[in-house]
Amino acid sequence: MTDITVKPAPRQVVNFFSRRKHRDVLAVSPRTNIALNLLLAFFCILTLIPIYVIFISSITSEASLTANGYRLWPEEFSGLAYRFLFSQGSIVMTAYKNTIISTGLGTILSVIMVGLYAYPLSRDNFKFGSFFTFFAFFTMLFSGGLVSYYMVTRQILLLQNTIWALFLPSAFSPFWVIVMRTFYKANVPNEIIEAARMDGANEWRTYLQIVLPLSIPGLATVALFSAIGIWNNFFNCLLLVDDAQYYSLQFTIYTTLNNIRFLLENADKMQGLVNVSELPSQTFRMAMAVVTVGPIILAYPFFQRFFVKGLTIGAIKG
Amino acid sequence: MTREVASPVKPPPPKKQRWGADKVYTNLSYLAMVLPGAIWLFLFAYLPMPGIIMAFKDYKLARPPQNDWIQNKFIYSLIHSPWVGLENFRYLTLPTNIENTLLYIRNTISYNLLFMVAGLVLSVALAVIIFELTNRFFAKLYHSILFLPYFISWIVVAYVVYALGSSGGIINSLFTAVGGGPIEVYKEASYWPFIFVIANIWKYTGNGSIIYLATITGIPRELYEAAAVDGAGKWRQFTQITLPHLIPVIVLLQILAVGRILGSDFDMFYTLPNGAALVKDATYTLDVFVYSMLRSATPLGYPAAAAFVQSVFGFILILITNYIVRKTRPELALF
Repeated sequence: MTDITVKPAPRQVVNFFSRRKHRDVLAVSPRTNIALNLLLAFFCILTLIPIYVIFISSITSEASLTANGYRLWPEEFSGLAYRFLFSQGSIVMTAYKNTIISTGLGTILSVIMVGLYAYPLSRDNFKFGSFFTFFAFFTMLFSGGLVSYYMVTRQILLLQNTIWALFLPSAFSPFWVIVMRTFYKANVPNEIIEAARMDGANEWRTYLQIVLPLSIPGLATVALFSAIGIWNNFFNCLLLVDDAQYYSLQFTIYTTLNNIRFLLENADKMQGLVNVSELPSQTFRMAMAVVTVGPIILAYPFFQRFFVKGLTIGAIKG
Repeated sequence: MTREVASPVKPPPPKKQRWGADKVYTNLSYLAMVLPGAIWLFLFAYLPMPGIIMAFKDYKLARPPQNDWIQNKFIYSLIHSPWVGLENFRYLTLPTNIENTLLYIRNTISYNLLFMVAGLVLSVALAVIIFELTNRFFAKLYHSILFLPYFISWIVVAYVVYALGSSGGIINSLFTAVGGGPIEVYKEASYWPFIFVIANIWKYTGNGSIIYLATITGIPRELYEAAAVDGAGKWRQFTQITLPHLIPVIVLLQILAVGRILGSDFDMFYTLPNGAALVKDATYTLDVFVYSMLRSATPLGYPAAAAFVQSVFGFILILITNYIVRKTRPELALF
């Protein structure tokens, strides 16, 4: 059970997309190549359609959405939903603020905690290395169950109805510890660390001045995934927050969709109790979904360049 | 986490070390580095572990008396609640409940098996196809697009399901245009297995292929060249060279997946059906079941019993799978 140590990858991991050399002899025939291209292009379009539908219905005019339902190309465009969304300093804005704060703090915390936890585990001269590796790894295999977790986070850690509830439970991950440990072993040569120690730098200084600069791609990957994980997190809020003041973005847009679907389906049973026409409009809801994924899609082209590298290095063994 | 076959450069044999002041200092520094993460693990992973005994107790919230040394309500109640043996488990298997309990367990396991098979086949296929493409630019473009859904939350997907599948949705417009009947996804349970499988493929295939792509990229080209010279076609090359190289990664990922077979992607199962009660039979997994019991008025012992089954059986399953793998192919075992 205890020998779960990961040794550095023996092979040089090549980033597939940066390869230049063509495999002429092994290349598929031009006809097959075209067929494969068409196949993938088709699946790419299928993949993008859902995102497209959300976006296009958010800029459809409410009247044409009500009259024609959701369409791939609307009859009439309108930016009203967005003006409405940003004009009122309402639940969406509060949720945006909460999500931005918790994503920021959670990402910083997770980079610090994962980066620091994984480094000693990658060093041979750490006496308790195998203990702490097991200490992290075991939590991936066994847990106390949801009920106990719920009681502990609420009653002992006192996280209910605080902003901490949105990011602290996601601020560390044994999975990324194992990825980062492999990253350190593969990318920070032992000789450099030994040399720094010879020159009299202590462990902290060696880590901060020598190891850290060499580990940027790995730590950036950890930062990226934890940022997106916290931005998209729904469960923490569902479990620990009852007070609308601390709702996260995902939770807010979920409850909106949920309430509206419920009211619309039961509208006949509640005649006079709710005025359906006063509910947030359909376009408004779709605009909420767009502003939720918007930052991720806008940032995607910038970050996807390096995560393939960061991921392949860690993932090959992780 | 796999075992290494062999390191090309052998590390020099460690010198006999004594515990000098320097070594103590180094290890203390290391301990300080590990500390924040260790505290997090203790609080969020280890602290809830003893609470698993709630499954065998009639848990009732009690206020600790003023002079008691434990002032935390949860810990006090946990310790002072009476043991009830298997009573909580008996509740889950009462004639009125057994059907639901078994249904949710069956849902959980069959969805997981579907996702495992679909994920494995499609991710490997995608990795192989992308690797075979001769144009690097397009390969990268396709991969970026197919990876994108991984970063989109399930809640937004719930909006997509609504926009596509509700009564005014695109799919219904298409069906009514060709004279088909309306599809009410929130009222008809039989659509949900398809929705979940498609959604799962949509979200995870691109991400899943990364690890296979990295592995395929690492396979020495010479093997393929030799095979091509010997007249092996692409399919032969795949089954004889690519697949054997992928096996370690596949086995590793499947062991981990087997350990999670009683768990599920809570966000997906909880948010996509949008709380529609009519489709409960197809959308409830153990996770959702435990959560809904936790939030309703039932005594906490009941969800705790279901959660106990989940964690303990998951743990036992992963040990068994790993044991079998270690007996047959020791180099592929997880630990």
